[in-house]
Amino acid sequence: MAPHDRLTTTLPRPRVAAPPRTLLEVEDLSVAYGGHEVVSGVGFSLARGESLALIGESGSGKSTIARALLRLLPAGVGRAAGRVSFDGREVLGLPERQFRPLRGREIGFVPQDPSSSLNAVRTIGRQAEEAAALLDEPDARARTRAVLDTFAQVGLDDPQRVYDSYPHQLSGGMLQRVLVGLAVLPRPALLVADEPTSALDVTIQKRILDLLTELRGTLDISLLLITHDLAVAAERADSLLVLKDGRVQEQGRTASVFAAPASSYTRRLRADVPALNPDRYADLRAVGGGRLAAATGGPKIEVDAVSKTFGDVRAVDDVSFGVEAGTTHALVGESGSGKTTAIRLLLGLDQPDEGRILVAGDELQGRSGASLRAVRRHLQLVYQNPFTSLDPTWRVERLVREPLDRFKVGDKAERRERVREALRSVGLAEHLVRRRPAALSGGQRQRVAIARALVLRPDVIVLDEPTSALDVTVQADIVEVLLRLQAELGLTYVFVSHDLALVRQLAHTVSVMQRGRVVEQGPVAEIFDAPREAYTRSLLDSLPTGLEGPLAT
Amino acid sequence: MSSDYARYAVRRVLQAAVVVLLAYVFTFVVISVLPGDPVSNTLRNPENGFTEDEITRIIAYYGLDQPVYVQLWESLTRFLSGDLGVSLRSNLPVSQMLGDVLPSTLRLAGTALVVAVVLAFALAFAVQYLPPRLGQVLRSFPSLFLSVPNFIVGLLLLQVFSFQLGLFRVIDSETPLATFVAAVALGIPVSAQIAEVLIANLDHESRQEYAAVARSRGLGRVRLFWKHLLKPSSLPVVTVIALTVGELLGGSLITEAIFGRAGVGSLVQRSVSTQDLPVLQAVVALAAVVFVVVNLLADLLYPLLDPRVRLDGGRRTGSTTPTTDPVRPQREVVAP
Repeated sequence: MAPHDRLTTTLPRPRVAAPPRTLLEVEDLSVAYGGHEVVSGVGFSLARGESLALIGESGSGKSTIARALLRLLPAGVGRAAGRVSFDGREVLGLPERQFRPLRGREIGFVPQDPSSSLNAVRTIGRQAEEAAALLDEPDARARTRAVLDTFAQVGLDDPQRVYDSYPHQLSGGMLQRVLVGLAVLPRPALLVADEPTSALDVTIQKRILDLLTELRGTLDISLLLITHDLAVAAERADSLLVLKDGRVQEQGRTASVFAAPASSYTRRLRADVPALNPDRYADLRAVGGGRLAAATGGPKIEVDAVSKTFGDVRAVDDVSFGVEAGTTHALVGESGSGKTTAIRLLLGLDQPDEGRILVAGDELQGRSGASLRAVRRHLQLVYQNPFTSLDPTWRVERLVREPLDRFKVGDKAERRERVREALRSVGLAEHLVRRRPAALSGGQRQRVAIARALVLRPDVIVLDEPTSALDVTVQADIVEVLLRLQAELGLTYVFVSHDLALVRQLAHTVSVMQRGRVVEQGPVAEIFDAPREAYTRSLLDSLPTGLEGPLAT
Repeated sequence: MSSDYARYAVRRVLQAAVVVLLAYVFTFVVISVLPGDPVSNTLRNPENGFTEDEITRIIAYYGLDQPVYVQLWESLTRFLSGDLGVSLRSNLPVSQMLGDVLPSTLRLAGTALVVAVVLAFALAFAVQYLPPRLGQVLRSFPSLFLSVPNFIVGLLLLQVFSFQLGLFRVIDSETPLATFVAAVALGIPVSAQIAEVLIANLDHESRQEYAAVARSRGLGRVRLFWKHLLKPSSLPVVTVIALTVGELLGGSLITEAIFGRAGVGSLVQRSVSTQDLPVLQAVVALAAVVFVVVNLLADLLYPLLDPRVRLDGGRRTGSTTPTTDPVRPQREVVAP
């Protein structure tokens, strides 16, 4: 892990003592893609050194606004109208030739997905030199030095190694640091950050956001932060602007918008942020809690001292946990902590090197194919990304019916009835059964994935980050569906997540994993209120909580 | 990387050798099951005037009195030691006949490849950077190039450059200009395949996030093309070029006939009509060697060009294009 306390270097640009002046003024901005208007009549202003957050769900037009400001809308398709003045100069109507010098030099851009935002076949260094070329520094060695200094400044441990690497040789967090570095290197007046952390783990998310806040202070950069997470926005921005379907719902100073939202939409967004509402589903969760308290006999799932090694990496190291029937056990940890390997072992997709796994008292290992299939029937998986886990050429009906066909359950009429029942239980309307995944929203797709897991009436469902690809509002819907199904059907969940706020809303017991080992384990309330391990505390501290203090109560 | 690369290279070279041997065996078998016995037909044709003694000697030389598998073994060992046999028609060693015509064909095919690559890259660049309306027209060029048979292009070029403008004489077909004109006729359909893949890849790459992010660092469209888009778009082209070598060899047959060039094509043509089996066997073997060697080079080159390709225990893994949506050559290439 890179240290994040390296931001002490003082930088050349002195703080301007003059009163805040408007840097960016947007009036009546509309953007259309091929005649379809996605942003309508948006206006806001951003003063020098200030920060503004644009908040909204996917499709709210927030990223489109960022692209329109940078004039990087897809050529020939996207069209922007209205007025955008930057530093007192109208820029929307400027010819490309005159606007281009502003990009990078005056307006920096931090993209959303670090893994696809750098050219995969060129070294980081060669791409960094493009940013350094904007410095007006004639000496090539001085430019390279500036690149390496910036890499050190954004907390990259070995700048020369990063400089010589190709993008695929670095982690997502490191790449995002590189991208932040490249954006601030030419000392722009404005930084546009488009969901700069949504592809990253919570702890790395906090470090990147800290970095942006820090750089904003030391370099006197204005920040336009685009996010779907109200808590992140409230924590990091001076003002907020809430967008829905391309229109402004509400805007104002963070304190007033966040503390007393005027629009119902903002109130809903606020209610949907797990970190702000740990007890939102307390009633539904209490059903499983009661089962946990009343539990007698053996647990539904027992993982006993399981280890698994891949090459030199001990992916799972002496991991044990148990899950009572009808309750939720969460596995939390960052990428690479071994949670995914642990559930692959549980599902029988990999065999453990040591230890044993029991489901309803039956051992998983050493079974023949047929009896393993019988166990699997009661052990279903909901995968994290509903955009890739459903066959795009199949209709909903067939997607949900497939497990029934595989296990040859009932006749045609009975299968159809069970598909209907599964879809009803996840709250999907009847008319959607003829649709293909492409015609469904992310939330609808994940409901299809859950219905598919439910259709065999399993006892246990493994949920692998089931909401990490979804917006907070959609996430809240899915969480509610999951909890209701558990309360009604007595399902046992193994829930894998890096989002502790979600774990607190949903789970009854938790195992915190780090580098393949369980570092802390117990009931959710105990672990969250009184974490013993520093690692657990750092995970909890990473949660964005808006204006209020850290989540720990 | 280096020891992995060495393992990978050895593996590829062995595979290539196996392919060449199999191609040779396959041709031999096909020829030996053909109806009719051209050898004894020819030898016993009174017009050729072989004596009975000579016939016996020739038949013994070719081992034609032996069973087929012995003949195959003999033929294969001769092939491996570089002896391609003697023509049934001219009594000249086949290697000498090939040596006479090969330089002409290599000149033609090599020039055609250069023409094809240059034309394809120019077309792809123009599609990206000319005004959209003009670019749209240029996009239809690859299909146009492919749908016009190259003998029509060849005849047109011959008509214009030789008969109308008189820039070269049809009789004297080996001048550089004559070679170039023939190479254009041969290269146009090949360039279409390269251009099609290149244009599709450039479209794909220019829509990638990294392209927008690079522009956010102030890069203009032309610098974006040269510094960012060209390399990832051209990597798959290496494979396409290797595959089009077959097309070049096959196409040279027709092109040589039109332009009256004495190349491998005309030799094949003569040998087919006269059933000169040793020559045909040698030409097929030669085509297989060329095709295999060129594709071997492409395979060996690729890991050096693309940093993402990993060589695990001598196997090539990892994506060969940066995204989930690779563009591959869309047509089957017919080897001669």
